[in-house]
Amino acid sequence: MSTHGIDRRGFIKVAVVGAGAIAGMQAVHMVSASQSEQGDSPYSWAMVIDQAKCIGCGRCTLACQAHNDVAPGISWNRLISAGKVGDKPIFLPRPCQHCAHAPCVEVCPVGASYYRPDGIVMMDYDRCIGCRYCEVACPYGARAFNWETFTGPNPVVPTWGQPEVPRRPRGVVEKCSFCFQRIDRGLALGLTPGVDHEATPACVVACPTGARVFGNLKDEESNVSILLKQNPSYRLREDFGTFPRVYYVPPRETVEEEAA
Amino acid sequence: MNMITKPQRFSLFQIYLMVLSGVMLVGLIAGIIVFTKGLVVTNLTDLVPWGFWITIDLSAIALSAGAFLLCAGVYILGLKQFQPVARTATFVGLIGYGMAMLCLLLDIGRPDRFWHAFVFWNPHSVLWEVTMCVGLYSGVLLMETLPLFGEADWFQARWPKLAHRLHGLHRLAPYLAVAGLFLSMLHQSSLGATFGVLKARPIWFRPDLSVLFMVSAVAAGPSMTALVSMLAARLTKHARVRDELFERLGHFIGWVLVVYLYFRFWDAFAMTYTYQPGRTEGLDILTKGTLSFNFWVGEMLLGALVPIIILLTKRYRQRPTLRMVAFALVVIGLIAYRWDTNMAGQLVLLSYLPGDITARYTTYFPSLVEILAGAGVIAFGILAVSLGVRYLRIVDHYKEEMHPIEDMEPLAVPASD
Repeated sequence: MSTHGIDRRGFIKVAVVGAGAIAGMQAVHMVSASQSEQGDSPYSWAMVIDQAKCIGCGRCTLACQAHNDVAPGISWNRLISAGKVGDKPIFLPRPCQHCAHAPCVEVCPVGASYYRPDGIVMMDYDRCIGCRYCEVACPYGARAFNWETFTGPNPVVPTWGQPEVPRRPRGVVEKCSFCFQRIDRGLALGLTPGVDHEATPACVVACPTGARVFGNLKDEESNVSILLKQNPSYRLREDFGTFPRVYYVPPRETVEEEAA
Repeated sequence: MNMITKPQRFSLFQIYLMVLSGVMLVGLIAGIIVFTKGLVVTNLTDLVPWGFWITIDLSAIALSAGAFLLCAGVYILGLKQFQPVARTATFVGLIGYGMAMLCLLLDIGRPDRFWHAFVFWNPHSVLWEVTMCVGLYSGVLLMETLPLFGEADWFQARWPKLAHRLHGLHRLAPYLAVAGLFLSMLHQSSLGATFGVLKARPIWFRPDLSVLFMVSAVAAGPSMTALVSMLAARLTKHARVRDELFERLGHFIGWVLVVYLYFRFWDAFAMTYTYQPGRTEGLDILTKGTLSFNFWVGEMLLGALVPIIILLTKRYRQRPTLRMVAFALVVIGLIAYRWDTNMAGQLVLLSYLPGDITARYTTYFPSLVEILAGAGVIAFGILAVSLGVRYLRIVDHYKEEMHPIEDMEPLAVPASD
């Protein structure tokens, strides 16, 4: 003590105790995290988008903008022009793909992006630090950063719907949530997401041609399960190994009447 | 020193400090604008979310690598004559990490939540690992730097007891060197992996990126230390160096650059063989497009080839001015490499439409606020190092009463228990 404040043994003790404390905290986190593993739920939500039926009207994007109170400069749900089949213009509506193996969840340094047990890739806006690593990592451009505070009225409210979730603050990354608020509230009321409008994502409800279908993959009788059984489908950039929960039924020259 | 006939009110050093403080003040105002108005004042977009500040951040961390390397050399390999260089490197490293953290505070959308990574862990994220390592290693650097305060005359005169305690921390140096080596090797590589693990950016998606970031930092970190030392020794009588140490260091850096160039060549060459969407366009931007001057002149010619020739040719290396130029070029080359890496992955927009391989491009140039805030951070770094040279004698190879290194056995062999 006379020559120096702390000796080697003391240093090691402090280091070991410190490391132990941190590891203990981490163990607690691990336990709480493992309680919400993906797949540990009777639901596995998915969306099927039939490109043969999509007419590119953009109502899905407007409903999304209103129900989730998304700022005008941001879109959770983009409508992309994807060429022509025959004379017919083809569109590709692109919500968040809710990947089962999501790059954004992997790279987020604070775990602000996470999987819900039902497969929805969620954002914890209270935890996000705004580093934008997820934006850089997402292959689908599904994420948007709040470069400024969204103030004032939302131009698409109330024409296209009423906000159901709070606005995100400046400085966090946001994205489509499959309208989790509608799903959760609907389930609590005993409704079936994908069947009852009140429990179904706003974009699906708003679609005038029924090009968007939502439902539970774990239910073999659900709309999405039947559609995927009866039609060829693909997912975006499957080579990335992200396993998206959004399926696309490719455009055909003629649209036959479908059972579902 | 001042031979000007008119009586001066300020010394050259004071004017120098005032200029740097002025730049810092402007940077501070720019920073306040960023914090009040948000990142909308930058030219960053959802397509290019990482820009100028990230480059400063990556460069500052890489250029601080002299600290862990020289401390490892002195306390683990037992290269005792480099101890005064390690002193300089440690201080420069602490300031470098300070600069990186200032840049990150500017860059993240919620600076009030900077501590989240320490509380909310995602061990799967390389950026989480980088954050933890940078945080812990900054603590190591601080512990390594505190004895410098304990040794300063003015500090001893004012707070003798505290000075004694701080000086005593030097006994931890061997342990800190081990911790520093461990933490630095992790995050210097992981910073490359931060880019290298992203499949969505094909030009980045290479395991070599972590190796290249590590090797380039091993070359450029000690170059920065040597450059600061030699420059200080030329500009002020408060810095004294033993030139032969930097000649040896230069020789080492020359060979590291050869290794770097070897890895870099095969890494780039292998990418030229097949067309891969995104990757080929990124490589084209780098070798033929907007980044090509940076790449060929900044990174390859000035950043690697010229310094290799100077540092590996004895008669060139022995000339201090030429050697200093080589060190400066290595530093410039590293900054160019970090900028190019960050940009090449973001300027190409990869399509996710099925069967569509047409690449689209975007552009980025920092806004005035970004440049001014970044300049403020750089001015802070230069100012802090200058004050360190002046008041902590961080560049002094002839200082008496250095810690008697003999009472610390090097950790070449693990401790008995």
